[in-house]
Amino acid sequence: MKRIGYSLFLGILFLTLQTTLLPYLPIQRIRPDMVLILILYWGLSFPPVSGGILSFFLGYLMDLFSGNSFGLYTFSRPLLFYVAQFFKGRIYLEGFLSQFLFVFLFALFEGLLILTLLSALNPVALNNLYPLLFTFYAPQSFLTGLIAPILFFLLKKISFLFFPQYGNGIKTRERG
Amino acid sequence: MRIRGFFLFRRYTVLTFILLLLLIALVLMSLRVKQRKGLDFFDAFLMELCSPFQKASTFVIKTVHGVFQNYIILIHLQRENAMLKQKIVELQRENSQMRETAYAHERLKGLLQFKGKNLSSVIAAEVIGQDPSSWFKSVTINKGEKDGIKKGMAVISPEGVVGQILKTAPYHSTVLLITDYSSAVDSIVQRTRAKAIVEGKGENRCQLKYLLRSEEVMIGDIVVTSGLGGNFQKGLMVGEIRKVDKKEHGIFQYAELVPSVDLTKLEEVLIIAESPLPPPEERGKKMKKSPPGAGPKKK
Repeated sequence: MKRIGYSLFLGILFLTLQTTLLPYLPIQRIRPDMVLILILYWGLSFPPVSGGILSFFLGYLMDLFSGNSFGLYTFSRPLLFYVAQFFKGRIYLEGFLSQFLFVFLFALFEGLLILTLLSALNPVALNNLYPLLFTFYAPQSFLTGLIAPILFFLLKKISFLFFPQYGNGIKTRERG
Repeated sequence: MRIRGFFLFRRYTVLTFILLLLLIALVLMSLRVKQRKGLDFFDAFLMELCSPFQKASTFVIKTVHGVFQNYIILIHLQRENAMLKQKIVELQRENSQMRETAYAHERLKGLLQFKGKNLSSVIAAEVIGQDPSSWFKSVTINKGEKDGIKKGMAVISPEGVVGQILKTAPYHSTVLLITDYSSAVDSIVQRTRAKAIVEGKGENRCQLKYLLRSEEVMIGDIVVTSGLGGNFQKGLMVGEIRKVDKKEHGIFQYAELVPSVDLTKLEEVLIIAESPLPPPEERGKKMKKSPPGAGPKKK
């Protein structure tokens, strides 16, 4: 329970930083998605029930603070959490490159998912959003992937510091 | 756990839970798409719960940023720059208003009602957070229902139009910026009086929709609000046309504009609490031309 409370606080903190600190960065239009990194980390280190609820809640909060009135993140974030859970123990995630690729591909996948849902739910054509996927969303996913190994490392350290009984977070490929 | 006792196998419990959670998310999405109502109690509660974090974080960031900017780097230049920027803004506003008045007198329509030009009631608010997602363009402000903010109210800054209130909580609100793809503002090109709808393009750009091909517009033309939407008063600066694409066929032409407000650096905004009604003849037109209208598009 303590771990869930701490993770929830961390989630709100990440969301706060994403809405307040990141817009002050020099490259304003391309902001890394810290909340996505956190959810993917949870996907690799949390059990399905508590992690799923946390991801759902954080997605819900993201919808609340965004101009999106459909509730797209309430759906996409737990979905990504479970897809990440599926890959837990199946792929090697210890190196920088593998963690970068993992997060980069998930960020791209979410972009496509959001775009598909927006197109499906909107009665008006959204042709002007499609080019953004390449000119804007791909570089942002790339940046999210780049900072993911650093955040994974920090989250692992913090988790180990406060909750050593749960191990050090990311589990690598199980052998045997 | 007791709940597990209702299920035959543990793995089915987890699978059922996953499916249930995703189903709830889909149901929520469906409800939001269908009902489009404002935030209910739970949403408002969550917003109020998290907004203090944003407020505190913004305060710390602004303080650090301010100290860094004001006392360490280029103290005098920064002040002078701010003063000059303020002057430019004032002159721009004055210029825009004067042009508006001149055009109105030329046409002898008496559409400009100077009583209506004065904003009867505006509420100042501070921006405490940006949109967490990159697909959508919105900001969170520190004023809500308790301060008289209602959904759909126009949000402006001294430079021009910012957007409209999308969601409200007791002490905080979300503003949908004009650059969001789902935003639409009924506007006119100041020079030619050509009517169009300004829609967001996602980036710091907007596009003019339903602009007739027969209309003569050019790069550098100023676009102002038409006052037809009901939320925005007439003559507020929306932006400047930066690109015109007139094809040889079709009814409409395409134009792109840059908002007059730098929406990436918004710090304070004004919310128009009471918007003056457009002149009767224009209201009549609005009734006939309902589809595009101003306000957030039906997503």
